[in-house]
Amino acid sequence: MTATVTGIGLLTPVGRGIDDVFDALCAGRSGLSRPAEDHPAANSLEVGGFLPDIDTSEILIGPEANTLDRVVVLALLTAQDALDDAGIVVGRDVEPERVAVIIGGVGGMATMERQVLRRAERGRAGVSPYLLPGILPNMPAARVAIKFGIRGYSSSIGTACASGAQAIADGLRLIREDLADVVLCGASEAPLFPTFADTFTNARVLASRWADPTEASRPFDRRRNGFVLAEGAGLLVLERTDHADARGATGYANVVGWGATTDAHHPTTPRPDGAGAIGCMRRTLADAHVEPADVNYVNAHGTGTKLGDVAEAAAIRAVFGETTPPVSATKALTGHMLGTSGVVEAAATAVAVHRRIAPPTYNLDDPDPACAVEHIRKAPLALGAGWALSNSFGFGGQNVSLLFGPPTTTLTRTGSNQGD
Amino acid sequence: MKDEIRAFIVKSLLDMDLGYGIEDIEDDTVLGTEGLDLESLVMADLAIRVEDQYGVKFDNDEAEQLALMTVGEFVTTVADRIGQTSTVEPSHQ
Repeated sequence: MTATVTGIGLLTPVGRGIDDVFDALCAGRSGLSRPAEDHPAANSLEVGGFLPDIDTSEILIGPEANTLDRVVVLALLTAQDALDDAGIVVGRDVEPERVAVIIGGVGGMATMERQVLRRAERGRAGVSPYLLPGILPNMPAARVAIKFGIRGYSSSIGTACASGAQAIADGLRLIREDLADVVLCGASEAPLFPTFADTFTNARVLASRWADPTEASRPFDRRRNGFVLAEGAGLLVLERTDHADARGATGYANVVGWGATTDAHHPTTPRPDGAGAIGCMRRTLADAHVEPADVNYVNAHGTGTKLGDVAEAAAIRAVFGETTPPVSATKALTGHMLGTSGVVEAAATAVAVHRRIAPPTYNLDDPDPACAVEHIRKAPLALGAGWALSNSFGFGGQNVSLLFGPPTTTLTRTGSNQGD
Repeated sequence: MKDEIRAFIVKSLLDMDLGYGIEDIEDDTVLGTEGLDLESLVMADLAIRVEDQYGVKFDNDEAEQLALMTVGEFVTTVADRIGQTSTVEPSHQ
């Protein structure tokens, strides 16, 4: 049983939808900026990845409007985009109980912060009875299910920055085990609020002191000094390939392998020996029965932290040898959308496989010798036929890799809503 | 007093932006499914607002009864409790 990506919904600082996002990643259009003066985190962030204005008027209505967290709003908008892109109406194109939804993320912490402040000010009466349905980590998936009538398996995943990739891995498992025909899988994150920004700042992990905010995120570069916090949501429609063929759907790429490991080392720093990341990539290749030499692109986790980038580069060399496949990290432009990063990067990797072109790592002006891999720099790189790997590593030492190959649907496409 | 309570209830429901007209409610309109069809969390929200405004208390096990009440009965209940709070301890801490 094979699984094909037949729909992509993305809301990111560099654009909405795969065409916008992939073009931005290839052309070097950064989504990073200073916060607007009236942004709640204006005093807490030097630079962030903020979404373009989005219309929430059809979602933020009624008594829940103040407590329906942005993670739920973004998930609902992205789910609509992904289903539209796949041409799927649940109940018309697929049985509701054969559709699953898995959405990762840390939950609606910004709304929790506001409610805690209201409670401190007004006591019990300041706390909304609608709080939990608006913020719990399961709510993006639950409320997407309610809106679209999805009645099969549903779940949320809380593996921090690996959660989006893990949602896709779980989607693949459901399809392989014939537990679903269609899986809406990904993540939704809205971390740009004061408490979250302040704790990352105090942990000294955010990029700082950059005169030009678009230069702040620089994976693998010698001058990197941290990551840039960003918001966003991404959902893929992963579909059983023969189900997609039966309805004449077009595929972007197949998800052909997954792997997951845990460092069991430290809450925030990777294992010095890289064993977690190495094992994760190797399991993924073994799952897909693909040899390292047949991988022609790696989309790195590459956040731009001192330790993380070194550890990942070493792990990539350990898996692929000293001459690695071409590697790039797209967080230079998007910032770090936590769990959503894994989805956006999976989507970019999926499209790279079929278009045979990979985006570069922007801001990689002076590659750190400690991060030696075959970097794609300055301009996109044409790829040969083959497979592409995407890495996602989370706080806590939770690692997920995904492997993508060309679509095996009869009809294929390289962009949204167009056959080729 | 009852007029003020009634006005407060109507204002609270309007503030909640429930998406349907409640301007025309009468004293004999039922709050729950037989009338305004306020769902459980909306009833909870209304109860909190009334508790906060008038210093009264509703027990958890009263929630279902509230949904069966008419607007007029709810107003009377609140008014009666306001009268009691100066002399009677709250029923739970």
